[in-house]
Amino acid sequence: MTNVIEARGLTKRYGRSVAVDHIDLTIPNGRIVGLIGPNGAGKTSALKAMLGLANFEGELKVLGKDPSKQRAALMEDVCFIADVAVLPRWIRVSELIDLTEKIHPKFSREKCLKYLAATKVTQDHKVKQLSKGMVVQLHLSIVMAIDARLLVLDEPTLGLDIIYRKSFYTNLLNDYFDEERTIVITTHQVEEVEHILSDLIFIQDGKIALDCSMEKVQEDYTELMVRADQAEAARALGPLFERVLMGRHIFLFQGGDREQLKALGELHTPSVADLFVATMSQGASA
Amino acid sequence: MNRLMALIQREFIENRGAIRTTPIVIGALYIIGALMTIWTTVHFDNDLYSFKEGVRMMAEVPEETRGALIYGSNLLGGSLLFTFVLSVVIFFYLLGALYDDRKDRSILFWKSLPASDTITLLSKLLTAMVLIPLVFWAVYVATQIVTISIASGMVMYAGENPWTLFIALGQPLKAWFMVLASWLAFSIWALPYYGWLLLVSSFAPRIPLLFAVLPPIIIAVLQVWIKFLETFTFSGNLFGIIGKWFANSPLILSADEGPQRVIVSLGVPITSDMDNAVTIGNMLDRLFSQQMLAGLVIAAVFLTGALWFRTRATDN
Repeated sequence: MTNVIEARGLTKRYGRSVAVDHIDLTIPNGRIVGLIGPNGAGKTSALKAMLGLANFEGELKVLGKDPSKQRAALMEDVCFIADVAVLPRWIRVSELIDLTEKIHPKFSREKCLKYLAATKVTQDHKVKQLSKGMVVQLHLSIVMAIDARLLVLDEPTLGLDIIYRKSFYTNLLNDYFDEERTIVITTHQVEEVEHILSDLIFIQDGKIALDCSMEKVQEDYTELMVRADQAEAARALGPLFERVLMGRHIFLFQGGDREQLKALGELHTPSVADLFVATMSQGASA
Repeated sequence: MNRLMALIQREFIENRGAIRTTPIVIGALYIIGALMTIWTTVHFDNDLYSFKEGVRMMAEVPEETRGALIYGSNLLGGSLLFTFVLSVVIFFYLLGALYDDRKDRSILFWKSLPASDTITLLSKLLTAMVLIPLVFWAVYVATQIVTISIASGMVMYAGENPWTLFIALGQPLKAWFMVLASWLAFSIWALPYYGWLLLVSSFAPRIPLLFAVLPPIIIAVLQVWIKFLETFTFSGNLFGIIGKWFANSPLILSADEGPQRVIVSLGVPITSDMDNAVTIGNMLDRLFSQQMLAGLVIAAVFLTGALWFRTRATDN
């Protein structure tokens, strides 16, 4: 089986409001997918459906299983860090490791202790004695010690300082990720994850606004920076989005003739953040 | 099975204070009480003259009377405070069982482990039905062994043989067994009540205590209001039904071997339908009664509801 997540017409309603609106989605094996969208776009609702934490309408298969009916079986191969600080506060680190080892067949105590050794967390600590950053390190050590096929991270670094955030993703890439695993990340801090992503999915108002690989983003999208006197000429070529930065006009093009654009000014590969802003403003005006 | 044991162990760790410390405090109170009695006696009773006299008088009481008194008042009676506190601990444990992890959001961690909601609910029910009573029982027995040893020392000082004076007659092993049997029988009898508490715990958005206590009160008040001018009978009222259920329970509510009826008074006296003497036969009578069957049906409805809510529960 090559597809880790397959969704057809996935819909989630809360009363009358629709959080996820008929999403079609295919996530193959061995990818790192960024699920990016503004607040309230439906990212977390979609993730909760995938993790069996909420019921939904439509078809959804995660690793070939129906998450709403087979959550427990699914969790043998899926790990998630839902948010920072959801580890029970009353538990001692050693007790947490013991319990996880007894409940999870694919948890490796050796690996977990190895990851923990690199942090300041000791086995005698209670979770409530740890700082927010240390709790995330502990949670990540546990999750990385589980031989899972899909790892879901929902705003994993929310509220952490820059040092923890950097090392979080470094550890994840160096010690955990391989071709057999898939990682799905939602975050607001797009700049931090864009270098590790292999695929990009933008969600807006419960719908998918963009779904493509990072290579394709680099092939398809170009950023052109021109002086003010060239702005009209650039505008005539039909950019997706225009912004002004320190007297320069910056245009985002999808497709477009690179030679033709190059004649007007400097070409760059757009950052995910810029692409995101452009896509969102398009969706909002459409 | 290992997973279930691990989940029960989780419950013990989370509620260590209530499950383990509470009975130890009660046991300590009994032992301190015994020591204070001795100290007071030694202080006021010169050469323990009156005490020795008392022990001699006790030895003259006919064996049958003495045995019944020790078995009922001292051995079974010594469990009553444990029974009361045990029921309070279980009440609050169950109210928090499916509520606390929703409140602190750690449910998102527990649900990331491959343990089904059914086995999670079962672990919480078994903690209330078996684990908490077993821990309380172990402490109760340990407390009795200490207090019996203290009493034996005193009796030996007074020149009597504690074994023939009270230990052999009181049948402590039988008493301890009866207390455990009655607590476990009550766990089965209490299933509809435990199911209700778990149901409330699974959906209450906040303050599960109110959600547990208010509906029965409101229903009972409405019943009174509707039926008051008609021929009002207390036995048809929800409080009457709950009171009767409690009066019929196999718990040791009085400590005597002879046949008798227990009266629970909630404004209007409610008499038990069943024989309340503390025997295994009476406990089995209850567990195989029609009332128990009705209780199991109610428990099944409540527990299914609790599971339904738990399956859908996340952090909000």
